[in-house]
Amino acid sequence: MTIRGARWLGAAALSASIVLSALGQLGMKAGMQHLKLARADGELAWSLAFSPPLRGALLWTLAGLGAYALSLLAWLAVLVRYRLSYAYPLLALSYVLVYVGATSWPELAEPATPQRTLGTLLILAGVALVSLTGERADR
Amino acid sequence: MNDLLLLTAVALLSTSQVLQKVGATRRLAGARTPSQWIAALFSAELLAAIACIAAGTALWLAVLYRMDVSRAFPFLSLTTVLVMTASRWYLREPVTPHRWAGVALIAAGIALVAST
Repeated sequence: MTIRGARWLGAAALSASIVLSALGQLGMKAGMQHLKLARADGELAWSLAFSPPLRGALLWTLAGLGAYALSLLAWLAVLVRYRLSYAYPLLALSYVLVYVGATSWPELAEPATPQRTLGTLLILAGVALVSLTGERADR
Repeated sequence: MNDLLLLTAVALLSTSQVLQKVGATRRLAGARTPSQWIAALFSAELLAAIACIAAGTALWLAVLYRMDVSRAFPFLSLTTVLVMTASRWYLREPVTPHRWAGVALIAAGIALVAST
């Protein structure tokens, strides 16, 4: 069996890629948030290298990078099966997940604005148009 | 400065997509055993792709440190425009008018989010 495998594997790999990439972004942002807190506390001195804010920064960033790395592996399985011009726009579905996550997760608590929501919806509409029309997607 | 970081990250991440696709098609698609998969992962195409994505991600982390992720993230869809363009003219994939229209919508969405 080649890595292309069964048909459902393509859809599963694509879904995993989308979700893991959004989780990766949110994790990395949470890590940077903690790093900012650590700096605000003046805790970047080496003796304080294992202070809670810095440890939080490290853990979140590593978790985010880990999810990102897994999403890359899943993505290679996607690319073996689909055209890049079909699959890549679908990845933008993770924008929606990131926007929802960043605005509703208390760790980040970013403000949702009507303009950003509208922009995100436009991007989604574009993604739908790119991916749901035209010929079959197999490479 | 933030914009320069963001655009460099976007260019690196787009390049990585094309390299990943080339590597997946040329190396990974024909691999049949785990050892062949590993060998494919360490092919020149995929190593270059990983280098681009690592550099792009490092810059991206610097951007996230400075901006809201919900504002910064949609900029990444600029990569959609670059990747579609490379898919059409470098990889020679067929791209329908519908898909170009979709890319235009995505670009409009980016502009809207960016102007906030």
